[in-house]
Amino acid sequence: MVDSVDKMKERQARFKVRPVARNAALTVAVVAGAFSAVVATLLIANYVQIRLAAPLDAPALIELRQEIIKSPAATPELVEQIETLDLLARKAYLTSQGHIRTGVWLLVAGAAVFLAALRLAAAFKPRVPLPDAAPARESFWQARRNARRLIGGAGAAFAAAAFLAAWFTDLRIPTASLAPPRFIAPAPQVTPPDWETVQQNWPSFRGPGSYGVAWHTTAPSEWDAASGKNIKWKVEIPLPGRNSPVVWGNRVFLTGATENQRELFAFDADTGQTVWRFMPDGVPGAAPPQLAEDTGYAPSTMVAHGSQVFAIFPTGDVVGCGYDGNLFWQKNLGLPDNYYGHSSSLLAYGNLLLVQYDQAKGGKLIALDIYDGHEVWSARRQYISWSSPACIPSPFGPQLILNSEKNVDAYDPVSGKLLWQVKCLDGDVAPSPAYGGGRIFVANEYVTATALILGGTEDAPSAQVAWEWDEALPDVSSPVGDGLYFYVATSMGYVVCLEAASGKTMWHQEFEEGFYSSPVVVGDRVFVSDKAGVTHVFKTGREFVLVADSDLGEPIFATPAFLDKRIYIRTEKQLWCVAAQDDS
Amino acid sequence: MRKSLAAMAVVAGALVAFQGQAEFRFPMPEFESGYEYPPMNTPQASRIPVPIDVSVLTVALGLTTYAVLVARSRRLVFVLSVASLVYFGFYRQGCVCPVGSVQNVFEMLLGRSTGLPVVVVFFFLLPLVFALYFGRVFCGAVCPLGAAQEMCAVYPVQVPRAVESVLGLVPYAYLGLAGLAVATGSGYLICRYDPFVGFFRRGGSFSMLMVGGALLVVGIFIARPYCRYLCPYGVLLRWASRFSKWHASVTPAECTQCRLCEDACPYAAIIYPTPANAPVSRREGARKLGILLAATPLIIAAGGLAGYGLSNTLARLHPTVRLAERLGAEETGRAADGTPIKVSLEVETFQAGQKTADELYAEAGAAASQFKPLAVVFGAFLGLVVSGRLLRLSVVRQRKDYEADRASCLSCARCFDYCPVEKKG
Repeated sequence: MVDSVDKMKERQARFKVRPVARNAALTVAVVAGAFSAVVATLLIANYVQIRLAAPLDAPALIELRQEIIKSPAATPELVEQIETLDLLARKAYLTSQGHIRTGVWLLVAGAAVFLAALRLAAAFKPRVPLPDAAPARESFWQARRNARRLIGGAGAAFAAAAFLAAWFTDLRIPTASLAPPRFIAPAPQVTPPDWETVQQNWPSFRGPGSYGVAWHTTAPSEWDAASGKNIKWKVEIPLPGRNSPVVWGNRVFLTGATENQRELFAFDADTGQTVWRFMPDGVPGAAPPQLAEDTGYAPSTMVAHGSQVFAIFPTGDVVGCGYDGNLFWQKNLGLPDNYYGHSSSLLAYGNLLLVQYDQAKGGKLIALDIYDGHEVWSARRQYISWSSPACIPSPFGPQLILNSEKNVDAYDPVSGKLLWQVKCLDGDVAPSPAYGGGRIFVANEYVTATALILGGTEDAPSAQVAWEWDEALPDVSSPVGDGLYFYVATSMGYVVCLEAASGKTMWHQEFEEGFYSSPVVVGDRVFVSDKAGVTHVFKTGREFVLVADSDLGEPIFATPAFLDKRIYIRTEKQLWCVAAQDDS
Repeated sequence: MRKSLAAMAVVAGALVAFQGQAEFRFPMPEFESGYEYPPMNTPQASRIPVPIDVSVLTVALGLTTYAVLVARSRRLVFVLSVASLVYFGFYRQGCVCPVGSVQNVFEMLLGRSTGLPVVVVFFFLLPLVFALYFGRVFCGAVCPLGAAQEMCAVYPVQVPRAVESVLGLVPYAYLGLAGLAVATGSGYLICRYDPFVGFFRRGGSFSMLMVGGALLVVGIFIARPYCRYLCPYGVLLRWASRFSKWHASVTPAECTQCRLCEDACPYAAIIYPTPANAPVSRREGARKLGILLAATPLIIAAGGLAGYGLSNTLARLHPTVRLAERLGAEETGRAADGTPIKVSLEVETFQAGQKTADELYAEAGAAASQFKPLAVVFGAFLGLVVSGRLLRLSVVRQRKDYEADRASCLSCARCFDYCPVEKKG
């Protein structure tokens, strides 16, 4: 019991009610609480708004991007509109972030005042211990009984939930990827062709190694479609496409496609007869891609590699066939996030099929096994591009050179290891790298063209910028080098010769039509075909010496293939074989 | 009153750098001017030496013990709460905390890690050791999560005892889930779903900030909801505290059964004297207890079976399983109707990596398969808990005094002012 009156008074003082102070504190608490609730509501609304309407996914921005894809010619104005809208969206977003920070401070202050006032209000009217005045509660036994029942019920509910979960919940983990390589029969594991054999064919875009230098130097310089001079045969290609012909042995391969149809074609190199056609349909995962009109549905050149040929389409479909057209495998790499459409061509090295799968997000350099299509390795790529890889015989071993939106990257073709990287590009990069004389040359419109000199050691190869040049630049056609000079052909019709050692302009020549096709060095000559169908042949060297102009009468966008005394040229609708008449 | 103002001032001061906001991801703009982004820097890890951290924890536990058992001062306990909130909460940002250390210990016991940091050992053991001797003094004024909720417990209402009993099972389930997650490599659930760490660190996911805020608001009326209905470490403290030699008591001397403390505890941790009129005879009660004891193995088995049924659902705790399901769904979505579905950020990130889809599916399958036996163990554990709780409710100890429930009393000292009995001597 209480010992003294003083102690009793002290105890009673702890429960003394102070109504005025309490009311004041309560008022402050109500005001602060309401203020905090309003601020919290506004913060939540702000957050929800930003989540629902991501700044870069604004409908207006998406609409403008789609407009550019549909009509690339209107690009400069649209680009400016997009940049303005983008800037406004980012400014608005960052402003809202600032508002959130301010709001959080206000919320913290309001909540602190609210809690403090509430506690004071509670302190000014403490709960006096009056057990008889407490609300009636369940009895001791009733509470226990209720607790047992509730616990039993909770246990039963848990069991019921588990039963339902067991019945209706199934893990949806596939046993294998739904876009696997589809085997008809795995390709026989024959030894892949060596470099010497590869060089004697025209296996990929821009020839052996894909840097535009022909091994055979005997191609004819002159032909004429109207008179038939040096035209051995021509054949209509059933489906359109801007990919270039590749040649292996006695076969010429290319692809064609429309929105709903894709095919591989093989023609007899001597007669032009169609040997086989293959339609890779029903590839799991295939879906219509987003494309620009210029890209078309078959922009990527095939690769022929000994007993096998490979093709890729903008849907992400990759097909591996035998030389005789029998399907070995096909798979889908996933629809590329590429607003103009995937157009990089394939390359083969040893037992690997190399795919430069650059995208806006999630781009990769992928190496697939040529026999069954499984992924052997892949290397992450940060930037998008539309150029194709080149495999150069550098002094430190073969290097895979890839252009992207920002960089020139070199990889080990066997392991995919990034060997070196130089940042020297910009814009939408479609031209592929050139190589000659220990130097790599890259160029793209609106950015400085750059020559890189290879260096380093075998264990740590590297590259340094040797010189830069910024006059007539290409946007589609890839430059080429002969070891002493680099040759650039532009969409505006210019052809320029630069000294490889110094970057000095040796000469430049303007033609009537522009160039999409890439120039090729054939011995001491350079062949380049313009969009009107005229192939200009000139001598390599420091002076411009025209050898011949040959007209096929049809636009040429693809790069011809150069074999021994023959050239295979793809025009808009036909495949031509050019051979000197006495060698037909 | 003074203590409330002082507490709020201290806490407000500690929140000076508060910038709690939800995280956003925003792609960096691409500049044509050649602007170079500054390199990202990772902040240095905390350099507070382990002995200081451990010493502060020990001193805090010791002072709380003194405040509860010797001084019997609610004011002192409150001040210590504020200090703990500031130090362990805002200054140390809620880590290392004993609540999360359970997972580290699980990991070591299951052989999934080769060692346990010394600081984790101390943070795990010290509160338990103190609980073993002095009760849950850690909860009283040292745990920053409890302290944050204590600040908000202004108008606590009594939760019906039956409801309290059922909700009190959730911490056991949470503990079991945390153990399951560690055993299967699914991560640290307790840390991931810590509702208050976002406030301590001045930033966090929107959902966790909302949950933390909601718990604090609810805590104004239902005191310490996380401590009572979620905290998995509290399960261990309950077990240790049951055996405490010295424990906080409502009365400093002998109980006079004046009933003044009946409404004193906001945590329903005061056990009332046992009424004389039991509804069933002793014989009948013993029979029912016997039935319950006999049913215990069945309850445990049923729990194990239920756990097995939940194994697929529980497997989704594992991030690899979730990613594989998502990737599979997106692949299916594309193949099903030819229309590409929007790729999620997780799948995009995965596809940018080196692993193939087949490898991911194989890993996910292996991860999911380990859930089956462990889910059975989890279910059986829950069955044991339910059975144990039912048994406890069926066994009646005769009490004549108002006593603090050693398991659930948080040693907050709120009830001291309600007892009119003076300390002898």
